[in-house]
Amino acid sequence: MSDPRVTRLADLIVGYSLELQPGQVFRIDGLDAASPLALAFYRSALRAGAYPYTSLGLEGTLELLLEHGSEEQIDYIAPQQWEEIEEIDAIATIWSETNTRALSRVDPARHANYLAAQRRLHNRRWERIAAGEMRWCGTLFPTSAHAQDAGMSLSTYEDFVYSACHVDTDEAAEHWRLVAASLRARAQELNSVKELRILGPDTDLRVSVDGRTWISAEGTYNMPDGEVFTSPAETATEGEIRYTFPAIYHGREVEDIRLRFEGGRVVHAEAARGDDYLKTLLAMDDGARILGEVAFGLNYEIDRFTRNILFDEKIGGTMHLALGSAFSQAGGSNISGLHWDMICDLRADGEVYADGELIWQAGRFLHEPVPASTAVEAAERV
Amino acid sequence: MSDPRHERFAQVLVDYSTRVREGDLVLIESTPFAAPLIHALYRRVAQAGGHPEVRIGLEGAAEALLSAGNDEQLAWINPRLRGDAKEANVRIAIEAESNTRGLTGIDPARQAVFARARSGLRDLTMERAAEGELRRVVTALPPHASAQDAEMSLADYEDFVYRAGFLDEEDPVASWEALGEELGRLAQWLGTKQELRVVTEGTDLTVGVESRTWIPCDGKENFPDGEVFTGPIETRVDGHVRFSFPAPHAGRLVRDIELRFEGGEVVEARASDGEDFLREMLALDDGARRLGEFAFGMNDSVQEFTGHTLFDEKLGGTVHMALGKAYPESGGKNESALHWDLVCDLRGESEVHADGELVYRDGAFLPDIF
Repeated sequence: MSDPRVTRLADLIVGYSLELQPGQVFRIDGLDAASPLALAFYRSALRAGAYPYTSLGLEGTLELLLEHGSEEQIDYIAPQQWEEIEEIDAIATIWSETNTRALSRVDPARHANYLAAQRRLHNRRWERIAAGEMRWCGTLFPTSAHAQDAGMSLSTYEDFVYSACHVDTDEAAEHWRLVAASLRARAQELNSVKELRILGPDTDLRVSVDGRTWISAEGTYNMPDGEVFTSPAETATEGEIRYTFPAIYHGREVEDIRLRFEGGRVVHAEAARGDDYLKTLLAMDDGARILGEVAFGLNYEIDRFTRNILFDEKIGGTMHLALGSAFSQAGGSNISGLHWDMICDLRADGEVYADGELIWQAGRFLHEPVPASTAVEAAERV
Repeated sequence: MSDPRHERFAQVLVDYSTRVREGDLVLIESTPFAAPLIHALYRRVAQAGGHPEVRIGLEGAAEALLSAGNDEQLAWINPRLRGDAKEANVRIAIEAESNTRGLTGIDPARQAVFARARSGLRDLTMERAAEGELRRVVTALPPHASAQDAEMSLADYEDFVYRAGFLDEEDPVASWEALGEELGRLAQWLGTKQELRVVTEGTDLTVGVESRTWIPCDGKENFPDGEVFTGPIETRVDGHVRFSFPAPHAGRLVRDIELRFEGGEVVEARASDGEDFLREMLALDDGARRLGEFAFGMNDSVQEFTGHTLFDEKLGGTVHMALGKAYPESGGKNESALHWDLVCDLRGESEVHADGELVYRDGAFLPDIF
């Protein structure tokens, strides 16, 4: 018996996230373990009158390439991929690994070369997305490996994933439309804030967001989703922060990170475990010591840390502040090879002040945002 | 640690069948059931300096498309397929479905729409292969491959394919070269003939082959292999033929096909099971009613009928003929969206005459005839 939540997840992404239209070309990307969700996507897209096809890889081949390939082989992009990317209207990426640590022993330099080669193609994809010529959404299909990372049984993890996407009910799209309205209103409200002060255990950090644009992540690019984010002013971050959750970068965990900022830059960093790795990453380039993102996690169906950034950065009641590259659409200008999301749990006794006013306590905003439509009407009246 | 037998199999497919060279774009096309073999192939291709890319098929997608797609969706060719057909230097296909009868419930007319749309792609692939721009080999897991126990089915497959592919021998490549040499002589000798007549129970068929080229198949395009084939004269097939083996095609099985030809064209067609589908395929286009291939199966290590054409058409002691598209390298000119191999067992009482002379009896060529 197939899980009805898989079909609902596919329908949600096809209908709500990608708004797939009749006649559109839709590629479904993933590994073989994603097959059940890939098939659900395929069927859903056919019903929508689109032209779906799959691009499925086999777990384990990347490891072989990085182990046996020459530099030239690692750098290779098949020529037809450049034409293909121009013809696609939408892509769904399904993350579903059967071994999330498969690459932990490959040469990091070779892996970096591979990622750099793939980035050439990805950049073209993002250009087309930014130009409004193409849509993309990333999601996850539960496997035992992801469940293990989360410290759960597979069936408990499935419940966790599907409830985070709200596909355990029939009204997922309706739910996300409401979430979107609320997140947009929140983002709009935050747009008028000049400075945030974050207070928590061993944390007192001031971040300037003056003139920056807050963006609502409402299930368009990720499913699940649920955050508002911006890129802070590059030279104004001051104070200290302690990240309560382990910060994971390329599969490696760094625990109990403490950072001190002065004039926007990290001037002191330490970690209880993985301190060397933390310092190596901070030394990657000039931008690696500067914040590229500040965000509120607002998906309260995600209530625990599962070692997967797709979920962790959206945990309701947390904030994440990423070191490294910023979002230009948010007004950010920091450039770095790094973008490392680190999550700070504010659910127990965290407080956030906006220009001196307490707006967030114990993991919740104190007031509901004014609905975006009302705010727009109000603005129009003025 | 990987199974050394996969390594050996991968080695023959990569080094001998497709002769992968530095810089080749090599597609490995299969399903997750063939994972251990795919990994061995991937490694071997990388070591040979090629660029391996895996294309994993999604089981159930074809059925979903054929049952739920509209005509435009059925006829649509995705950009990945087009790009691959244009750019690949080598394609290694491992047929490995858990259910090879998955399309039995589909309306044959819709399968015809699907097949017609893909004929251009197939023609491009055949042309590039004939011109030497593409080297491709097809191999298969047995049709009873099971999703529940892929390891076991792979082991079953290995026993069978190791024998059929001479992989249990000291030097499989040498064995293939020896068979290739024998098939080469047979092909040359058949090239001097004008007309073949096949006679067995339910069959008396005359096929014109004058001036056509016979091609020896020695493990480079199919694996296992062992046949010689040509494209018969399009207007010179006469008589009747009964195909004793069930004929699988496009996710279905048709049983006891009987055809009568006049002037190269099928004028009567019957089947005990799947006759509707047979008729729909014959009506696909003009070329679907004519033969595009006539061949002798010459691999004596394949003795069991498996229900999978790749193996069955190689069975020593059989002939097979394909309705539809001819291979351009054989001199055959027939064009069609169809290419359906039908196998006729001659291991019982049977005779083949070449230009009036008895040359083949009861499943084998007469000794020293070529």
